[in-house]
Amino acid sequence: MKATKPWVPYLFIAPALAFFIFAVLIPMVATAGFSFTNWNGFGDFTFVGFANYIELTTDDIFAKSFQNVFLYIVLTLVLEVMVGLGLAGLISVQKSGSLWFRVALFAPVMLPMVVVAVLWSFIYNPDFGLVNGVLTSLGLEDLTRIWLGDPDTALLAISVVSGWVFSGFFMVIFYSAIQQVPSELSEAARLDGAGEWRIFWSVKIPFIRNAIEVGVLLCVTGAFQGFDLFFVLTNGGPFNATEIPTTLLVRTVFRNADVGYGSAMAVVLTVVILLVGWMFIRIRKWSEKKELRA
Amino acid sequence: MITKKRSAFIALAAASTLLLGACATSSETTTDEATSGSTENLTEGTLRVAMGSPGEAQIAVWDQVAAQFEADNAGITVEMNYVDDDLYQTIGLPNLLSGRDAPDVYFEWAGSRLAERNAGGYAADLTSYMTSGVLSGIWDDSAFSSGEVDGKLLLAPHKADVTNVIWYNVDIFNELGITPPTSWEDLMETCQAVSAAGYIPMASGNKDFWAAGNWLGHLTSRVVGEDVYDSALAQRTSFDTPEWVEAFGFIKELADNNCVNESVNAIADNEGAQLFFQGEAAMHPIGSWLVSWAIGEAPDLNFDFVNLPAMPGGAGDQGSVIGVVTGYVINDMSPMKDKAAAFLAMANNAEFVNKFIEAEAIPLALSAADAELDERTARLNTMLAGSDNIVGPPDTDYDLEVADYFYRAVAAVLGGVSTPEEAAADLAAQVE
Repeated sequence: MKATKPWVPYLFIAPALAFFIFAVLIPMVATAGFSFTNWNGFGDFTFVGFANYIELTTDDIFAKSFQNVFLYIVLTLVLEVMVGLGLAGLISVQKSGSLWFRVALFAPVMLPMVVVAVLWSFIYNPDFGLVNGVLTSLGLEDLTRIWLGDPDTALLAISVVSGWVFSGFFMVIFYSAIQQVPSELSEAARLDGAGEWRIFWSVKIPFIRNAIEVGVLLCVTGAFQGFDLFFVLTNGGPFNATEIPTTLLVRTVFRNADVGYGSAMAVVLTVVILLVGWMFIRIRKWSEKKELRA
Repeated sequence: MITKKRSAFIALAAASTLLLGACATSSETTTDEATSGSTENLTEGTLRVAMGSPGEAQIAVWDQVAAQFEADNAGITVEMNYVDDDLYQTIGLPNLLSGRDAPDVYFEWAGSRLAERNAGGYAADLTSYMTSGVLSGIWDDSAFSSGEVDGKLLLAPHKADVTNVIWYNVDIFNELGITPPTSWEDLMETCQAVSAAGYIPMASGNKDFWAAGNWLGHLTSRVVGEDVYDSALAQRTSFDTPEWVEAFGFIKELADNNCVNESVNAIADNEGAQLFFQGEAAMHPIGSWLVSWAIGEAPDLNFDFVNLPAMPGGAGDQGSVIGVVTGYVINDMSPMKDKAAAFLAMANNAEFVNKFIEAEAIPLALSAADAELDERTARLNTMLAGSDNIVGPPDTDYDLEVADYFYRAVAAVLGGVSTPEEAAADLAAQVE
């Protein structure tokens, strides 16, 4: 049957499409356009071709920011996803009394990230902070550090905060997924003599693989989008040890008023994120094909 | 992850809006009305005033000025725009100026920024207002010099801040039997004595780079000389020279002698101040605003100041002061310049000057001379007024990107990450 009003579907998508064009597409195209200019954010701009991109290839701090964000991804995969998975496993085994445990672990997710960052800046404060205070009171003064001021510990310190916040979030996701595991599977394994660890590792984890994949994807993309925690805790320092692309971009555009160069950074960052997403999809497809063949 | 996504989205949206906004309005600021300069007969409209946030107390005074002005000028609405300080200093003001509703009056720092506004056509010539118009008789003529560009008075001065001196805890100094350092050797000996007594010699919170950056910028100007300091920061000469290496060498000496808290590059300026307020540090290098801050935060603290000690063999003026005059500029594109001048005159009348003083700001207006100031503030003002050489802070007098590179080089030496030679070479390469 031929539609009498073929334009109706377009009418329905028009508002969303208009919003997408206005809020996403135009800014993206504009940013890409600005990346070919030398512009300080106001007044006239000069077309400089690929000069900003060429400069990026020799910008050590820009390269360092990607190095840092990839290291941050690795650390948060452990401290957020793996810890979240472990916590989900624990509470799925011991259900009675786990409600408060879950609430306590999930609570940090509800706090604004800036509040979390300010809170932890006090905890890490080298002069009157909780961490060094506890270490000193335990006689472990040698272990005290300027946690956010030492290039060797700053990124790890931020990752720990990130883990504190988001491990609870991933715990909830994985716990929900584990609830979907048919109890018959666990019971069958238990009858075969499997312990809780074995059941968790060989039964539950394979069953919730899709949820874990989503968790990993959220963690990776979230790390690329991270900003507030870094900005408040270290502002990219010390000596660029925690500089990530977003903090560098904001500094370049808003502090140094170099919109052209910052736009080039934004374009490269977008391309890298898209590439990572594409690689993730390819790996997933390859893995599925491999399973089907097996 | 939701929070991360949301914040990144907001940042992206803000950036995009800013970019688009700036793009869309950049060509709309030179209308006939705006350029005509005809302001005499305006009886209605909106007078827009923009500034970085001066704090709640001063905002309350500005709001009173606005209300009074509206009451005295029926038909005129005053729109006050208080922008986050950092944002205002960087991209905020330029975007406001190039926007559709550009401010008629805006806060600005004297120095290269003011010259830049003049070049951009955003600074009206206030000479006639200040010599024979509504703004005459408010200030001493000596207050005008910093706001003069190309023979035109562009800045109605409001405040003068000493950007850095060394504050010291009088009680700790008395306890240790030491006197405020007046030379570099004195300072090193003071650091050793204070450190041996278990105190932090000098507390500084340099996470955002400007705190130690300004202080040690002043130090370097004393070593290399004001001309070399100015020409290097203005990108006319290189930083990779023996005198800059020597200047950075003094910063290394500070670090090597444990003069500064280990956490210097990890904590913010307010955390550095807290170490001083709590009596854990004997000295704290920061600007004149510490007086009101300390009185509020640590009312029992017995503190005083000394200017930066003289540097051995320094090429600069060893009595120089680092400081900056700030004030208000009338937008040359404003259609209501007369109203804007009248507004500034009102903000600087005796009544509001007193209110600003109560709000812990010390205006440069002559009527402030009769006010009872904190004795230390009065001495700071005298020191600034009497100095033959006022050194401009890097982030208000020079290109922000260059200032940023400079501050980072200073922080790297202070943190022991770079040698003076490396810092000078890296800085020169970055600036070039």
